Amino acid sequence: MNCDTCKERLVAYLEGLLDDPQKQQVDDHLQACDACRAELEGLRTLQARLDANGKAVAQSNVEDEVMSRIAREQNTRPKAAPQTGTGLRIRRLIMKSPMVKLTAAAAVIAVALLVIVPFGGGTVTFAEVIQPILSAHTVIVDTIVGKDETGPVIHDIVKGSMIRRTASNMSNVMVLDLDGGRMLTFDPQTKGAAYIDIEGPLAEGTKSYLGLVREIVTRLEHTDAPVKELGRQEVDGRQAVGFQVSEANMTLTIWADPEKAVPIRIEMLQGQSFTILKNIEFDVPVEDSLVSMEVPPGYALYEGQLDMSEFTEEDFVETLRLWAQHVREGEFPDSMTLEDLMSAPIEIEQLDLPAEETMQLGTRLARGYLFLNFLAHGSGYEYRGKGAKLGDREKAVFWYRPEGSATYRVIYGDLRVEDVAAEDLPE
Amino acid sequence: METDQYYVERCLDGHPDDYRHLVRRYQPVLLAHLAGKLGGKDSAEEAAQEALVRAYFKLEKLKKPEAFFAWLLGIAERVAMEQQRKEQIRRQRESVRAVAEAAPPPELSQDYALEAAVAGLPGAYRQVILLRYYGGRSCRQIAGQLDMPLGTVTKTLSRAYALLREALRQRQEAYEVQP
Repeated sequence: MNCDTCKERLVAYLEGLLDDPQKQQVDDHLQACDACRAELEGLRTLQARLDANGKAVAQSNVEDEVMSRIAREQNTRPKAAPQTGTGLRIRRLIMKSPMVKLTAAAAVIAVALLVIVPFGGGTVTFAEVIQPILSAHTVIVDTIVGKDETGPVIHDIVKGSMIRRTASNMSNVMVLDLDGGRMLTFDPQTKGAAYIDIEGPLAEGTKSYLGLVREIVTRLEHTDAPVKELGRQEVDGRQAVGFQVSEANMTLTIWADPEKAVPIRIEMLQGQSFTILKNIEFDVPVEDSLVSMEVPPGYALYEGQLDMSEFTEEDFVETLRLWAQHVREGEFPDSMTLEDLMSAPIEIEQLDLPAEETMQLGTRLARGYLFLNFLAHGSGYEYRGKGAKLGDREKAVFWYRPEGSATYRVIYGDLRVEDVAAEDLPE
Repeated sequence: METDQYYVERCLDGHPDDYRHLVRRYQPVLLAHLAGKLGGKDSAEEAAQEALVRAYFKLEKLKKPEAFFAWLLGIAERVAMEQQRKEQIRRQRESVRAVAEAAPPPELSQDYALEAAVAGLPGAYRQVILLRYYGGRSCRQIAGQLDMPLGTVTKTLSRAYALLREALRQRQEAYEVQP
């Protein structure tokens, strides 16, 4: 055994995790090698120090204070206190349905897309932006939509063109292969796994989302707008220097590591939408197994074809129908945003479909939302479904203008679609 | 031992007393984390209390109960940040204008240097160290809780030790230079 292997195994050795032959090998090496013995001693000293500190800290006890404060504040914060049952029931309902999980998976990807499109086609080309990330580097980043940081956190581990994505509000793990245009999603709770085709806008959009991290840095270097220095302070538990730059309808705040000059937190305000990228780390070693497209052992693979490579008006009509028919008892939803999709309690199991159909339906539902999401950044659209009933022939529920078209596509309450001139649109 | 998820769901199902188990389980970890950040036993206790209370009243928003710990750490970070800002403002008002690196307050726990080094670790490493030494978890339990292979846990620990030793060494040097 050489010193490198020995050092690699020292922690497992100290933790008693090596099998007998391995342990013997390490013992033998330690006998003969002063340097590794010193390393072992160093580790033992540190462990002892951590142990002692752990015990010292354990002396503190806030339990009683916490419980009595909760009892006191329970009455003064009636709304925020957990209400018996309901939260749990809704959560169980959501978690049970594979369709909703899959939908949430799509929604997470789409939420990330909300970020990028205003930057797309900007000053920096896609290739320039993405190259450093796609070639050699790894990036780890958390994305949160919304100012108060209470929204779901999307956690990405990026290695080359592979991403391992998880979100704080769902159990699925997603592994995206952007070059291959495929996504593997698997759920540790149900032990189900599926491949989804994401060739096309979804893969491209996700690439641009990653490129954003770099683009922002480049932007800051080349912008003509004055850069305000925010000075030095602790951000997310680290010392950081801050810069802020405002352009048109966007304000960008970057907190960076003062020594290494790499961003650790980026806050973006675009119009009304606020996005935070935090805990950013570049070039952290990422194990290949984390971004593997292999179905993990013990998971059942869904054999059918799931496709999220394109999103059509038809998908969207189907989404509206499902929503109105099965979720809202014959009424259209008040709004159609991804936030709704991610937080709505969906009683899909009422549909009582076989698992395969549910999966297909789930991706279809997700495609409907993605259709809307991509539309949002192109031609204008209008959603007027609030209060409208499924089947109402007169009521225009939704309209949009396809790219290059002179007329609008209008979807009515009975879900028929017509071409309508701009001047004939409802008020 | 019941899972975090179990207790979270019990709380949501109308058994607030069961929150006690989660408090007991995570207070050492939380205190260690906060002591390193805030540099004092009292302020760490205050922040830990606040974070735990806040977490309880937000439990409904926790969509993934098995991720309670990571979520709680996030809340604690925010509380710590707020406390630091308040402290900054207070100092400015008193126009003490103490430098950020002022001498740590007297009520320190025994090994502030170590706690600060732990607090300075990147998230993934910090989490494993906190669970191992302040949460009293074995490597296998950590692997289960964080859903990672055992080998990744020991590798992460190994790297974390290296980072800690380096941080402690740098600190030592800094103290030797400026008396």
